[in-house]
Amino acid sequence: MELVDKIIKGERAAIAKAITLVESSKDTDQQISRQLISELIKKPGKSIRVGFSGPPGVGKSTFIESFGSYLVSQNYKLGILAIDPSSQITGGSILGDKTRMVEISKNPNTFIRSTPSRGTLGGISMGTREASIILDAAGYNFIFIETVGVGQSEIVASNLVDIFTLIVGPGSGDELQGIKKGITEYADIFIVNKNDGELKMEASKTAADYKSALSYYKKLDALEKQVLLVSAIEQTGMEDVIKTINQIIDQNKLKGIFDERRADQLEYWIEEEVKNIIASDITKRLASKGNIPKYSKKVMKNEMSMYEAVETITKDTLKQ
Amino acid sequence: MTNNSNNGFNNWQKSFEKETKKNLSDANSETDEGIDIKPVYTKEDLENFSFVEKHSLPGQWPYTRGPKASMYTNRPWTIRQYAGFSTAEESNEFYKKNLESGQKGLSVAFDLPTHRGYDSDDDLVMGDVGKAGVAIDTVEDMKILFNNIPLDQMSVSMTMNGAVLPVLASFIVAGEEQGVDRSLLSGTIQNDILKEFMVRNTYIYPPEPSMKIVADIIEFTSKEMPKFNSISISGYHMQEAGADNVLELAYTLADGIEYVRAAMSKGLDVDDFAPRLSFFFAIGTDFFMEIAKLRAARTLWAKIMKDFGAKNERSLILRTHCQTSGVSLTEKDPYNNIIRTSYEALSAILGGTQSLHTNSFDEAIALPTDESARIARNTQLILQNETGVTKTVDPLAGSYFIENLTEELSKKAWDIITEIEELGGMTKAVKAGIPKLKIEESATKKQAKVDSGSRVVVGVNKYKNPKEPSVDVRVIDNNRVRDDQIKKIHAIKQSRNTKAVEKALTNLTNAAKDETNLLIPCIEAIKLRATVGEVSKALEQVYGRHFAKSLSVSGVYGKHFEGDKEFMKVESKIKEFENLNGRRPRVLVVKMGQDGHDRGAKIVATSFADMGFDVDMGPLFQSPKDVAKDAIENDVHAIGVSTLAAGHKTLVPELMKGLKEIDPKSKIIVFVGGIIPEQDYEFLYENNVSAIFGPGSNIIESAEKVIDLISDNLSKE
Ligand code: B12
Ligand SMILES: Nc1nc2c(ncn2[C@@H]2O[C@H](COP(=O)(O)OP(=O)(O)OP(=O)(O)O)[C@@H](O)[C@H]2O)c(=O)[nH]1
Ligand SMILES: [Mg+2]
Repeated sequence: MELVDKIIKGERAAIAKAITLVESSKDTDQQISRQLISELIKKPGKSIRVGFSGPPGVGKSTFIESFGSYLVSQNYKLGILAIDPSSQITGGSILGDKTRMVEISKNPNTFIRSTPSRGTLGGISMGTREASIILDAAGYNFIFIETVGVGQSEIVASNLVDIFTLIVGPGSGDELQGIKKGITEYADIFIVNKNDGELKMEASKTAADYKSALSYYKKLDALEKQVLLVSAIEQTGMEDVIKTINQIIDQNKLKGIFDERRADQLEYWIEEEVKNIIASDITKRLASKGNIPKYSKKVMKNEMSMYEAVETITKDTLKQ
Repeated sequence: MTNNSNNGFNNWQKSFEKETKKNLSDANSETDEGIDIKPVYTKEDLENFSFVEKHSLPGQWPYTRGPKASMYTNRPWTIRQYAGFSTAEESNEFYKKNLESGQKGLSVAFDLPTHRGYDSDDDLVMGDVGKAGVAIDTVEDMKILFNNIPLDQMSVSMTMNGAVLPVLASFIVAGEEQGVDRSLLSGTIQNDILKEFMVRNTYIYPPEPSMKIVADIIEFTSKEMPKFNSISISGYHMQEAGADNVLELAYTLADGIEYVRAAMSKGLDVDDFAPRLSFFFAIGTDFFMEIAKLRAARTLWAKIMKDFGAKNERSLILRTHCQTSGVSLTEKDPYNNIIRTSYEALSAILGGTQSLHTNSFDEAIALPTDESARIARNTQLILQNETGVTKTVDPLAGSYFIENLTEELSKKAWDIITEIEELGGMTKAVKAGIPKLKIEESATKKQAKVDSGSRVVVGVNKYKNPKEPSVDVRVIDNNRVRDDQIKKIHAIKQSRNTKAVEKALTNLTNAAKDETNLLIPCIEAIKLRATVGEVSKALEQVYGRHFAKSLSVSGVYGKHFEGDKEFMKVESKIKEFENLNGRRPRVLVVKMGQDGHDRGAKIVATSFADMGFDVDMGPLFQSPKDVAKDAIENDVHAIGVSTLAAGHKTLVPELMKGLKEIDPKSKIIVFVGGIIPEQDYEFLYENNVSAIFGPGSNIIESAEKVIDLISDNLSKE
């Protein structure tokens, strides 16, 4: 495929078009997209995928601007996928992430793509995984995925990355109670942001809260969790973040955890795709046979029970 | 109510209801401020006031009726026209002509590079030099600007906020080199940074150091420049950005409170500086509301300053400059603007302003020509000389309606001021972005009212002129201005003592690290011929440059159009597009160069999103190259450039070049909105611009055109 070569050469427009394809809801685009991803997967780059999640307004974009500037100044190439939560249910979206990533967006060694989340589960949009494969093939050293953390979303997001980072604000320690168990499962690093000005004390206290909570669960989990203090605005603590990321990656590679995770994620991906295909196939069959309105009428008229209807429809739909 | 008057009122009500076929209770009309205006006001409406004092007199507590006892009966207001363009030489010529024709005070409009602390030779400002104001790079330019204008006699107002230190320093040094001691300089420096973060967008440093600079200037002028107003606390820009009158009033006074606090934190006594605080308000088309606003502003400020412990009466008195509203003026049928401006000017006078700028009829087209500026000035000369409005002080006092409205506005504004104080003051509120968002919400509502026709704008959405007149336009050759400025900068850099300049700049940088009053080392550097850009950079080393993060309102525009046919038509076109193309149409809305007019861009972005577009919002001050990268990476279908500060002929071709550089086959279409004189349309079309949307464009119609253009463009592939 011509597009594949261009992506591998790192052509900006080709990368962008490819991401559009993988995000598209059109069938023909999806077909091309599958071919494309199959090709690209054969030529993997060496990128490390890092997820950044956290509650709205905690400073994720500002942190990425700050940390990203640090990385590009060290000559790393950086791809950023920002899943913008600001989508409305009816209307379109206003994608404003770039107003918070002014400096890095100018840098030729970055590629920044915003995607409206459209309210899909976990804020992860269709195509995020594929987009990171494209950026990987295009030679980006790091791929950052920014998502808003709301409930389930961290789990979905953590399934796409090699390292998952939760960004929290000063004072969020109080909320720890409820999420303790979950946290230790999917986040590798906890970043307490806004460690500056008046908020400094509070930030340190929050970091301490996290540390003690995590040490409690350490026994249950083999991996060490890190808690870091940063200020995205004052750009402090950035070296610690990269050092920690590198440490964890090295350690995970050594222990085989890195590959294990990627294998798990592949499994998860395959399962998801299969489910999707089956589900959409079933949806189509259901629609074309018109069994649902037909049997629900029967149920209404008391000609059969609801469960009998379900069973009959299921059998008929699954019949080849 | 006495029985008698009660009967009288009942009779009136009956007649009213008979004539209008409406219940009186349904006959109120709601203003943008959320104030219910009744069809008639009576004596009863003068009761239960908590701010307005019914029987007060002009020049007396609470100063509702004016800062002076005699007002215009003794001396009329100052005709002070805001102007500046191109080089200092050309602006100086223009000022001198205006002064000969009856103008009384000067008001300098600087260009955007100067505002933002860049020299004319900086690559970042290629499209902006001399375009929307006069370019000042060094004290030499400042001296030329006031050539043959004696600064001990002329009061000079300077709209400068971001680069306030080097510019005020240049003014002081220019005075000195004219032989005028700084203590004799009279005039005003705007020096109001909070509203820059909210609406005007010519900030340089982050809020905290910026507030420190404001306080430094108040301190310095209070000690060394007794005739100079240290600040002009401005609501003008808020209304122009879309705020209603309550928001304008409340935020301006809340800003004032914050500045008083900042100055007091330097150890000054409130009476040391408060008499030299001045204000600046906009006067829009809502005739009585604007009059009431000025009266309410004086009333509230007196109360605020009393609470600060002011003892000097002059500390309690709010003195203000006013400007008629530019945003009320239209590109379509532009002579109507003369009429609008006249009514607004009358409003300002009845409200008791101390000085006034009246806009020119070509406001929505370009900077004024000599001819349009003459008419604008004459509007005031006629008011002063022919109408008799100067003969009686505060002639509307005692009007049931005006007094009641003054009280209502005061109350509503006070509630907001209290709210902000509870939040911790205006600096905090501004940092959180709340006031800006409120103003944008108000602006979006206004746009929806005009686009839906529920608010009539003559010549725009009703009573259109079938034969639009063509008008002369002031054209500024920005390449020539830039070349001239660069030459001057080079000559100065050759002849000055480089070592001494460097040392002075290092001193300045060091001073920024402690509590030194920064104006002092600044004056030293400027004397030695350091440039505005160099001084700004010396401070930037310590403070950094501020980048605003932009929040957006959503759903405000769409809500106004529930069930509207035209709106739904665009929505369904977008759905169709999505089905066909696998995604929504995606548009990047951008501002390029130093142009900080973001009202239009923000409104268009939120409205387009409400209709179903995915809208990428770029930050302010992008270079064309950055925009191209942004557009291509996000694979947008179109870029919408919003341009109001006349940079389009430089910036748009650069953008086209930028797109082709990254992707020679780029299919991204570009359209342009904002202030584009008709004379430039052809140039833009030749540069492959697909469509142009000028002032007054209906956003729903624009959106339909955009989706059609995008669809056409895709079908060509
Ligand atoms: C409001 C205003 C301001 C406000 C801006 C507030 C803000 N945050 O936006 C304030 C008071 C702060 C201001 C300041 C200045 N202003 Co001013 N301002 C105006 C004014 C009066 C109205 C602009 C406006 O907002 N209109 C309302 C919006 C909704 O309309 P719009 O932007 O035109 O957008 C509509 C269409 O154009 C179109 N559109 C626009 N963009 C886009 C984008 C897309 C994608 C689409 C589809 C459509 C579209 O659709 C919109 C809806 O109809 C104009 C004159 C005028 N009447 O137009 C002068 C004007 C633009 N200002 C001018 C100047 C010079 C300045 C200053 C530089 C003065 C100075 N030297 O200090 C400053 C600096 C500002 C800065 N940082 O850049 C000049 C520019 C001269 C020129 N182009 O030759 C003008 C033309 C006035 C004049 N004749 O002198 N200003
Ligand atoms: N004091 C302080 N404020 C910060 C810091 N980082 C971000 N902020 C502020 O926090 C607010 C939100 O920042 P964003 O970067 O937009 O946060 P976000 O998490 O990306 O927000 P969403 O994408 O909307 O979920 C802004 O007002 C930032 O200026 C920091 O390190 N210190
Ligand atoms: Mg964000």
